[in-house]
Amino acid sequence: MTANLINILLGGVFHAAILFLVAAGLQVVFGVQRIFNLACGSFYALGAYVGASAVNAFTGAGGPPALFIVPLALAGLLVGVVGVVVERGLLAFVYDRDETFQLLLTFALVLMLEDIVRLTWGTAPYSTSALYLAYGQVNLLGATVPVYNLIVIGASLAIALGIGWLLTRTVFGRIIRAAADNREMAEALGVDMRRVYAKVFTLGTALGTLGGALVIPATAAMSEMGIELIVEAFAVVVIGGLGSMRGAFVGALVVGVFRAVAIAVYPELEMLMIYLVVIAVLVLRPRGLFGRVAV
Amino acid sequence: METSRREFLKGVGVAGTGAVLGFPAVVSAQARKGVPSDPVKIGVMPIRAGVAAPVGAAGQRGVEWWAERVNKAGGILGRKVELVFEEESNPKDTLERFRKLALQTKVDVIVGGISTAVGLALGPAAEELKMLWLSWDATTQKGVEETMPKPTYSFRSVDNEVEAIGGALLTAKYLKGVKTIAGINNDYSYGHDCWETYQAVLKRYTPDAKSVLELFPKLGVTDFTSHIAAIQQAKPDLLMTSFWSGDTTILMKQAAAVGLFKTMKACFTTGGGVHDSLKKEFTPEGLILGYNSMYFNYAGASALQKQFVREYKAKYGEYPPYECDHGYFTVESYKAGVEKAYKAAGEWPSKEQVAKALEGIEVESLSGKRSWREDHVQMCSFFQGITTHKNEFDFVTIDPVEVLPTTRIMKPTTSTKLLEWINSTFPLKG
Amino acid sequence: MRRGPVALGLAAVTILALPLVAPVYHVLLMLPFMAYAVILLGLNLLFGYTGLVSFGHALFMGIGAYTGAVLTTHLGVRSLELILLASAVLGALVAAPVGALCVRYVKIYFGMLTLAFGMLFYTFLLKFYRLTGGDEGIRVLRPSLLGFDLAAVSKTDYLAGAYYYYSVAVLVLAALLMWRIVHSPFGLCLRTVRDNPAKAEALGISIVRSRWYAFVISAVYAAVGGALLGPPIGNVDPTLAYWTHSGNIVFMTLLGGFASFFGPVLGAFVFIFLQDTVMSVVPYWRLIFGAILAFLVIFAPGGLMGLFAGRRPGEVSRA
Repeated sequence: MTANLINILLGGVFHAAILFLVAAGLQVVFGVQRIFNLACGSFYALGAYVGASAVNAFTGAGGPPALFIVPLALAGLLVGVVGVVVERGLLAFVYDRDETFQLLLTFALVLMLEDIVRLTWGTAPYSTSALYLAYGQVNLLGATVPVYNLIVIGASLAIALGIGWLLTRTVFGRIIRAAADNREMAEALGVDMRRVYAKVFTLGTALGTLGGALVIPATAAMSEMGIELIVEAFAVVVIGGLGSMRGAFVGALVVGVFRAVAIAVYPELEMLMIYLVVIAVLVLRPRGLFGRVAV
Repeated sequence: METSRREFLKGVGVAGTGAVLGFPAVVSAQARKGVPSDPVKIGVMPIRAGVAAPVGAAGQRGVEWWAERVNKAGGILGRKVELVFEEESNPKDTLERFRKLALQTKVDVIVGGISTAVGLALGPAAEELKMLWLSWDATTQKGVEETMPKPTYSFRSVDNEVEAIGGALLTAKYLKGVKTIAGINNDYSYGHDCWETYQAVLKRYTPDAKSVLELFPKLGVTDFTSHIAAIQQAKPDLLMTSFWSGDTTILMKQAAAVGLFKTMKACFTTGGGVHDSLKKEFTPEGLILGYNSMYFNYAGASALQKQFVREYKAKYGEYPPYECDHGYFTVESYKAGVEKAYKAAGEWPSKEQVAKALEGIEVESLSGKRSWREDHVQMCSFFQGITTHKNEFDFVTIDPVEVLPTTRIMKPTTSTKLLEWINSTFPLKG
Repeated sequence: MRRGPVALGLAAVTILALPLVAPVYHVLLMLPFMAYAVILLGLNLLFGYTGLVSFGHALFMGIGAYTGAVLTTHLGVRSLELILLASAVLGALVAAPVGALCVRYVKIYFGMLTLAFGMLFYTFLLKFYRLTGGDEGIRVLRPSLLGFDLAAVSKTDYLAGAYYYYSVAVLVLAALLMWRIVHSPFGLCLRTVRDNPAKAEALGISIVRSRWYAFVISAVYAAVGGALLGPPIGNVDPTLAYWTHSGNIVFMTLLGGFASFFGPVLGAFVFIFLQDTVMSVVPYWRLIFGAILAFLVIFAPGGLMGLFAGRRPGEVSRA
């Protein structure tokens, strides 16, 4: 009984850990730039492909399998630099326009990135073969748990704490929060918003790509994985509240665990469950659990 | 001007998709009586995006390999073959592309179609447009019922449930003592129908077999950790799945990570679709694995299949999945149909004449003999077996291999009621 | 300002004469164009005139398409007039509560809420397959037009003939009605609400109620257009309700230009014929369409109409 409970909960938490990274990227960008980045799912897919390529190159060159997490995480973080390219090359042109145009620009990115991934890696599922099992399993109160899942959960938790530290304890964090509260005021105080935007968008992108890279050993990359994920990430931020980091954290846990429990108790509800929670939150508490006043 | 621009665009398209297969030295087109000299246009509709894109690519490669050989040998009755590609996507857009091939490009035949929803739109359209359509994998079934009992122009794939029936046969034969079963299948008609059918057939052999859990994740889900937790909780003797895309690999890997198949048997009716990603490290021996209608490593394979597998490996660096043969068979049977109808008509046959000639026709395909049944349903053999690590690859293969012909595992006519057939005249032995 | 009526007259003549002169395939391609044109006229009441961008209108297109399917296949109702009427009523019935929840917000929040409801409906269509046919969807039998069942005509002739002109008539009626709506005092209210909510409030306009009316009207248009999409396909399925379909119609609106009454209609036309060409030429057409969209957003936010007009419509930048 306990073993089953642990399996179900850890399954949900593992899913939540990945969702959190993508949703956190969505939130940090929205919080500061007021851009709802539909392409966050595409960045996640990009991170997955690049991460898998890096790991395969690493093991192909004779790197010890036990260290594969190093090139994986590095690649996931480094590919986040596409964030700068996208921000400087595309988004920077439309900051003075209606938010709708910014949303549409990220929709354009979704279309383009899906084909870029297909052009680069083809259509067949792409994976890191059996490295997922390289770290073995541990026994937790009778439940067999893959160590890699625990690493991902731990990494996600560490990143959550790191972001919390960044936002509350550093100068950059104070600037971000000031910009999120009142952009004009921040600018008047001498903050270079161009640089802030570039950094924030890159941070948001890197969170998404890192999420993709970390999940890839446990699964296989497919070109449309981004389009699938955006809907779940979206549920997370609606439940948690747009722009709130704590919201992303709690929202991801709610979505991950609700899904896992639904699958174990009443599988018919699987995805529907998430939408029902979303609608319930929207009706009862439209700004989400941790969101500031909407509109 | 208008025409020349369109011709130009077509040329670009052809270069872009690697379409028209060269016009090699054999231009000695033996002018036959009543045969036009221009190329035969074959419309090909592979899926290019989404979960089924690798399947679409495989079908296309099978057709391209065929076209290259046929053109080298002089074409169909001396006419060169020209392939025109249009993408299969959602039913609405695919139907528009189908109409374009039929009305605008004016092709002689259209091959392709993988998704059932697309098949349900294309079948009636083929009849309306009087356009010969030979499906690769798509049926015109709604659930397990046929929606087009008497088609003239459309020829469809095997019933969706045949692999589930084969899987259940093998379960009864090789995995004795299975009483409780769990199913994980994609949440769409193919998944639901396979699961229902599998249970029905298994119950013929093991009447007290019962389902303890049924999971239907959406097609495209890439994380099954929670599903596996639910399966562990239900503790079935066996897990059945009709997964056929990348999710097979993911499920297998995540199952291995918690040692699921150490205590449980499994039947992957269709997982052979991604056979070379099922690495030995995480795919155990002793599971039932189905390769659909072509098994690349079959010892009894024809010389043709062996040549194809060799050249495919050399060209694409991987071993061919079954869809290649669906693609190959549709065009090869078209060629045979044209030649047969030509003998009777004495001139290049009309689409109606080819359609008639195709009924009951049998040709040598990659995986062996394949035919069109009189009621326009594809007939072939399915390859399923028990996974083994004893091979030269880094992924599993099957041994022993069971060859299951559709005459055995598919209901005899499209109007037969599936469950009635399973529960009455279905041959338990043989 | 003489150019407008001349262009409109030319377009009308072309559309009426097309089945007589153009290849059948192009005539058939006009059918989704006209369906989308109806949908976009409605969407633009929300997008262009009210300033709300919906990412969930596939929901209402789906309602229209499935209404046609259920009526013809399960209930034996074949009259297209009844199908369109039922679609409109159902569209309004669903839009009333959904809209009431959504129009409390604007901008991104509004877009996300509509996306959530759209995906809920999509999941419903996929999950309850006994009711909706799941991924296989439901067949749409050939509807009768104005009481004529036209069963003797081949489907292609039916679509390229009677159904074509029927669609033209629906589009013309829909456009005339919408023209009246946007040029009525209500239309003026919507624009005031969009450009200056505070002023609207001061004038005694109920902002939320105006938006809600606009939402319901646009949903009715989407449902009617969705019902017109069904018969040419012959089978409706859940992909019609997926969120990328909502994205596509917003794309069309932007392509044509949301600041002009006929902009979205032009957008639908260009989108469909461009997609038709590009899809045949390159397998990677999504890349090209994404690039076109990015270009439009950055350099030509007024869309094609904005380019033709040679000036930036005043309402494009309203950050």
